[in-house]
This record gives sequence, structure tokens and C-alpha cells, in this order.
Amino acid sequence: MSPTVQRATLAPHSDSETGAVAVLAVLAGNEAYGFPLSAVREILMPPPLTEVPRAPGHILGVVTVRGQIITLVDLPKLLHLEVEQGDPYGRVLLIDNGEELIGVAVDHVIQVYRMEPNQIEYASAMGAELSAYVVGVGRVPSAESSDGEDMLILIDPVSLLGE
Amino acid sequence: MSDPRDNVQQEFLAEAQELVEALSRDLLLLDEAHHRKDRIDPALINEIFRSVHTLKGIAGMFGYKHVGAVAHALEDLLDDLRLGRTSVGSQLLDVLFDSVERFQRLLALEDPESPEEEAGVQAYLAAIRSIGTETSEEEGDPLDKYAIEPAVLSVLTEYEEHRLRACIRGGLRLYRLRAAFDLTAIDDSIETLRDVASNDAEIITYLPSMEGGNDDTIELVVLIASPVPEEQLNAHFEGRYGTIEAIEERTHLPTLPPRLTSIPSAAIRMEPQAEEDPGQASLRSVANSVRVDIRKLDHLMNVVGELALIRSAVNRIVDRFKGESMHRRSLMDLDRIGRGFERQLSELRSGILDVRMVPLGQVFDKLARIVRQAAREHDKQVRLVVTGASTEIDKLIVEELTDPLMHLVRNAIDHGIESAEARTQVAKSSEGTVALNAYQKGSNVVIEVEDDGAGMNAHQLREAAVSRGLLSADVSHELTRQEMLNLVFMPGLSTSSEITGLSGRGVGMDVVKTNILRMGGMISIASEQGTGTKITVTLPITLAIIRALIVTVASRTFALPITAVREAIPYVPEEVRTIQGREVITLRGETLAICDLARLFGFRGSTSKAGRFVVVGSMGNRELGFVVDDLIGQEDVIIKALGKSLASVRGFAGATDLGDQKVALVLDAPTLFTEYFDGPDALRSLETRA
Repeated sequence: MSPTVQRATLAPHSDSETGAVAVLAVLAGNEAYGFPLSAVREILMPPPLTEVPRAPGHILGVVTVRGQIITLVDLPKLLHLEVEQGDPYGRVLLIDNGEELIGVAVDHVIQVYRMEPNQIEYASAMGAELSAYVVGVGRVPSAESSDGEDMLILIDPVSLLGE
Repeated sequence: MSDPRDNVQQEFLAEAQELVEALSRDLLLLDEAHHRKDRIDPALINEIFRSVHTLKGIAGMFGYKHVGAVAHALEDLLDDLRLGRTSVGSQLLDVLFDSVERFQRLLALEDPESPEEEAGVQAYLAAIRSIGTETSEEEGDPLDKYAIEPAVLSVLTEYEEHRLRACIRGGLRLYRLRAAFDLTAIDDSIETLRDVASNDAEIITYLPSMEGGNDDTIELVVLIASPVPEEQLNAHFEGRYGTIEAIEERTHLPTLPPRLTSIPSAAIRMEPQAEEDPGQASLRSVANSVRVDIRKLDHLMNVVGELALIRSAVNRIVDRFKGESMHRRSLMDLDRIGRGFERQLSELRSGILDVRMVPLGQVFDKLARIVRQAAREHDKQVRLVVTGASTEIDKLIVEELTDPLMHLVRNAIDHGIESAEARTQVAKSSEGTVALNAYQKGSNVVIEVEDDGAGMNAHQLREAAVSRGLLSADVSHELTRQEMLNLVFMPGLSTSSEITGLSGRGVGMDVVKTNILRMGGMISIASEQGTGTKITVTLPITLAIIRALIVTVASRTFALPITAVREAIPYVPEEVRTIQGREVITLRGETLAICDLARLFGFRGSTSKAGRFVVVGSMGNRELGFVVDDLIGQEDVIIKALGKSLASVRGFAGATDLGDQKVALVLDAPTLFTEYFDGPDALRSLETRA
């Protein structure tokens, strides 16, 4: 095995017996992303945003949720994807990265999938140059055609703006 | 979520920490008394004994083996001390002071039974044992001098017996007082009796007499030792308890020497004189206080903030109904209730704030230990003068403050105070003085660390900066004396102990400065060669809630802590001049540098040129004008931390909720000042100018 970057898996979020993971699929800037449901604390209507001068470009600003100040990120920008976050975004996910709650702006929520291990392809196995925030991709039955597949970019909540 | 075991562990650590701090404080008092050759108060030694005893007890319960072992050995030593088997000397004091250090180290261990500590602990235990006991040469038992009833003598504890002997040997006279005490208030009454006696007399013991008393009262025989004659002692007690009579001295030796088999000291340790200890009062006061996790207070403070937001939401609804005459009565009632609510809310808020406050004395006690230690290491004579130890400041700040202040105090002694000979040569008193002064100034607390030592050589500092490549030689010649002194705070300079005369102990002055800035404080230095150095640290009283000036910049709202604001004046673009690349205006004849926040934060677009303001900020001895678009007003705001994800963004102390889910960023004035005056940009402009 080549000494590659240590990558996370969704193992901590999976069912200990079957290995299945509940994933919340969302759409942001024409791309579908999946978050392990166990890390999603809340889905909100976008609260008023306060921009933070000097903050990195992928940080939209801060919002307040029940007295707590939450950093809001632009997911496509964080992943250095060309597509821009739809503006205005329709929902905010509160994601627990283990240290703090991070707000993620998304266009809308698609649905929750129960993904079996064979539906997940981990980035470590793909060898592709993917952002450190990406765990891998997941394949789910297409929403449009009955025999097609949709791809979800699976996000590692722990690495999300963490250290 | 949290493991209950962890909580219990935290409780233990907090209590142990308090005990060690109390121990440290008492040791300083002991050291001072020893140093001044004063009589050593037996109550003080008892107090020290008690701290160690309690520590031993709880360490055993929580499996802190090493702490327990050290406490046990110390307890034996202290027991010898209070029973007069050994006396206070510098070796003993050193061992005792070392224990504070050692306890703190052991308490900080991840593994309380860490085998790596074993050797160190054993060495220390040996040091304790090496002190040993003295056998005092006695000519006859002094107790024989007095005709004390054998019934009384036989019930004295070993400690009381020791005190009795010590008093008689010290030439004190013995007195007996018979008085009736109310059974329900007996503890308090005896406490009062001790207080009244305090300086003039020592209460050796008290015992119920066989006669006297009824259902509600009890007659006690109190044995008192005092240097003053009978009449004077009676005058002192003002006959409050009845007559005090002298115990007559024996003229002949007793037929049966009432020498007692001493009670084994272990028996005393089991129950450290629960009833007759003068420390009762302090034990009681401990029982009346609770320890609270500061995060719980933060949570309460958040709740108060939420309540305030709800209150303003209600206000808006009330406003909506104003002018509708049919609701007038109800509206007036609502208005009145609303104001009452606001009053209570602000009470609640200041109550919570008050709980967070602790006296700076907590830190100063630790510093006093450093002073003693540093002075001994360098063989210098140093006197510590503390004023304003009762000045209160947020608990969180106190914790963060210890390290920086320790460093400043160490510096003052290591490099400020000269040796006794050097001082005598320049006609200074051979004993140097380090002063710690604290006082409140508005909503800031000022702490000064001042020494009357050699002072700093500004030119040497400059040369050191140049030789280290931190400053070009050309630039360095344009520095004012104050600017040269400020070089001390530059990273990379302060480690050079021999040249700049600064402490080379790990943290440098740059770290001190960074830490102070992080707490929203400022640090400044004044030094005269030959006269001394004064470092002034200015800190906000609390981090939790501040009064802020709300301003707008390019349609965005910001809060500026009022502690940093001196005044606000209209901005007149025509008056702005540029000096050395910096914009300045003239205010009352003084030049004031100004900084346009819209430009600083890179906001583009329409900032109205007219009707803007300059908010004059002041930090330490520096002033800087922030140009803003509009002033909204003053408000008490609760500062909430920005998430870790924004830790790298400089210039903001946090954010605050203004209601209606609107968030304003709180400007971090100290950082903005530093960035403007000393930051990389400021340095660069110095270089290009040269």
C-alpha cells in the first residue's frame, strides 16, 4: 500500500451490524452532496447573514441560532468547485463537526438515503484528487429515471472546518 | 454526556487546588513572620496543618497516591512543628514552599499514580524527613510551676499541653475563667471569646466545670495564658464573662509529678481538634460557598441575553398597538410591567457577573511565592508591596493572567533588582522593592508591576534589535526612547538574556504581550535607568458582557467596546492630512492617526462622504481614530465567541446578538491598535521610509 493521506470513512456513522449509513442528500450549486444524518443537528430556513471581513472566501459569514454564533460555509467554494452556491440559498444545515456547529448553506434538501456499504466508494480507494473534506462518493437510485444512478459527494463532518 | 467520574475528578481537583492555594498563602504569612522575627501565631500553623491534613484525606479517596504520600509526610512534619518538636527555620520553610510546587505538579498529572514521579517524590519525602525533631532541654516540667487541677491536665490534648508548656516557658501567666455559656450559641460565644482575647491572651483550652449551669447553659472553665497582669486582663474583657482569676504558682514541688503520658499524635490527626480550633470560622465559611463551573455561568448569561431579546420583541408588539385608544389602559400596564421586568433582568445580569468576579489577590498570592523563590535563587533582598489585592476581575481573566504576571515579576527580580552590594553602592536601600498595584479604572482593571531596580537601557535594546536583524540601523536611529523600550515586546528579542537584561525563561515579553492582548488588554512599559521599571497592564473587568458603541461601516453593523473609546467627533474630509503614508487629523492641537474601517476591511462601494464620524479609540497611551459611517448608540452587549473555524481571522473579539437575529461583530480594539501601530505593515512602512 502506498503511503497516502489518511482519509476518513463513514464508519463512525454507520449501523454497527449492517454497516449501512443514513445519509442526508442535499443540492448545492447543481451538485448533490451527502452528509451522514447522525452529524446533522438541524435544518433551518436561512437566518440573516452577517459577513465577516477578512474571512476566507468559502466562509459566507456568521448567523445566530438560539443565541449561538455559527459560521456559515459555502460548500462548493470550500471544495474548490467551479460552481457557485446558489444565491439566495434555500436552507442551512447545522453540522456537528465534533468541536462546533457549522452552518452549511444549501439550495434544498433532497431526501434521506439508507446507503449500504457497497453503494459507497471511498476516496482512499479512488486515488482521485479530492478535497480533504470529501469521504468519497455514493451511488443512489436516480430521482429521474428508474434504472439510472445519481452520485452524491459524501462529506466528512469531522474535517469540516476542523483542524 | 460527561462521565460522572470526570465530574467527581474535577471537583476533587478544584478542591485540591484551593487547598494548595490556601497553603501557599499561609506559608507566605509564616515566612513573613519568621523573617520579621515576630512571634509565630500557633493558629497559623494549625491552619497549615489543616490544609495538608484535608488534602491528604481527599487525595487518598481519589487515588492520588503521590499527593497523599507527600501530604502525609508533611502532616507529620507540621505536627512536630505545632507540638514544638521542631521549629520554624529556613530549611523547614524551603521544604514547605517546595511542597506547593510539588502538589501543583502532581495534581496536573494525567496519571495520578505515574511511576515516573516516584523518584522525585521519594527524594522529596527524604528532604522532609531530614528536618527531624529537636529535643528541647528542659529543666523540670514548667507545668509544675502552677497548681492546675490534675482533672484538667489529664484531659488536655497533646497540642494543648504543648501550648501550655510553651506559654509558661515564654513567661506568660496563667488565668482561669469560669463562665456560663448559652448551649445553643456556644460555638459562636467561644469564637467571640477568642476574638476578644486575640492579642492579649491565648485560650489554651476550655472544659465543662462540674458544677454550675442549668438546662440552657453550661459553665466552662477556660484556661488562659497571657503576658498582662490580672487587672489589665479583666479590664480587657470588661467583665463580660465574669472575673478572671490568676492561677496561683506553686511554692513547693508537687508530690506526684503530673507528667502525662502523651497521647499518640496519630490520635490527634484522626480528629484535628474539631471543636477548639480557631479555624472553625473559616471552615464554616467554606461550607457556605459553592464551586461552580464557569461554563454554567456562561450558559446563564446566554439565557439572560435571550430574555433581553424576548423583552425587546414584546416591546415591538406593544409599539404596534400604540395609538389605538381602546388598548390604552392595557398598554400602560404592559409598559409598567415591562420596565419592572427590565430592572429585574439587569439585577439578574449583574448578579451573574458578580459571581464571576474574583479578587486579584488570588494571583498575587502566587506571585508572592515567585518573589520569594526568585529572590532566594539570586540571593537578592526583595520586599513585595501589594496594593489593591481585593480588586475584582473576571475569573476567566484571572486564570489567564497568572502566567504573564509571573513572568513580569520574575523579570523584575532576575533583571530589575540589583544585588544588595550594587544597590548600596548607588545609595539605594539594600533591599529592593517590587510593587504590585491593582486598581479599577472605569470598566478596566489596571495592574502595575513596578520595581526600583536598575531600569532598562533603551540604547542596548535598540542595538540588540539591530544586531538580530529585527530592525535596520538607519531606522533604529529615528526611534524615540519610548519606541526603543517598546522593542522589548518584539518576538526574537527577549530571549537574549545577557544583552538586553531580560529573562530568558521560556516565555518572552512578546508572549506576555500576546497573552494580554488576547484577553482584550494592553501592556505598556516605562523605565528609567537607575530608577526602575514599571509595566502597566490594562484589562477589561469582564469578558462576558461589555458596554459597546454600536456603529455602522458601509451598511454593516459593528460594536466597539466602550472601554476603548474616548470620544466621537464629526469627520471632516478636508482636515485630513497625510504624514508618512498615514492619514492624520488634528484634534485639540494633537495629531491623531485615523484609520478608515471600510478601507481596512476592504468594503467597496458607497460610503457616504458626508456625515461620517471619527471614533477616537484609546488604549494604554496610544490613540487612534476609527472612521465610521454612523453612530447608532451605546448598548450592553454579551460577547459570544466566534467559532474555531474563524480563529485565524484577526480583528474581532467575537460577535453579539442585537435582537431580530441580527449579529454585529465586536471589534477587537487591542489587536487593531497593534496591527496599526506595530503590525507588519507598520514595520514595513518604517523600513521603506528609511
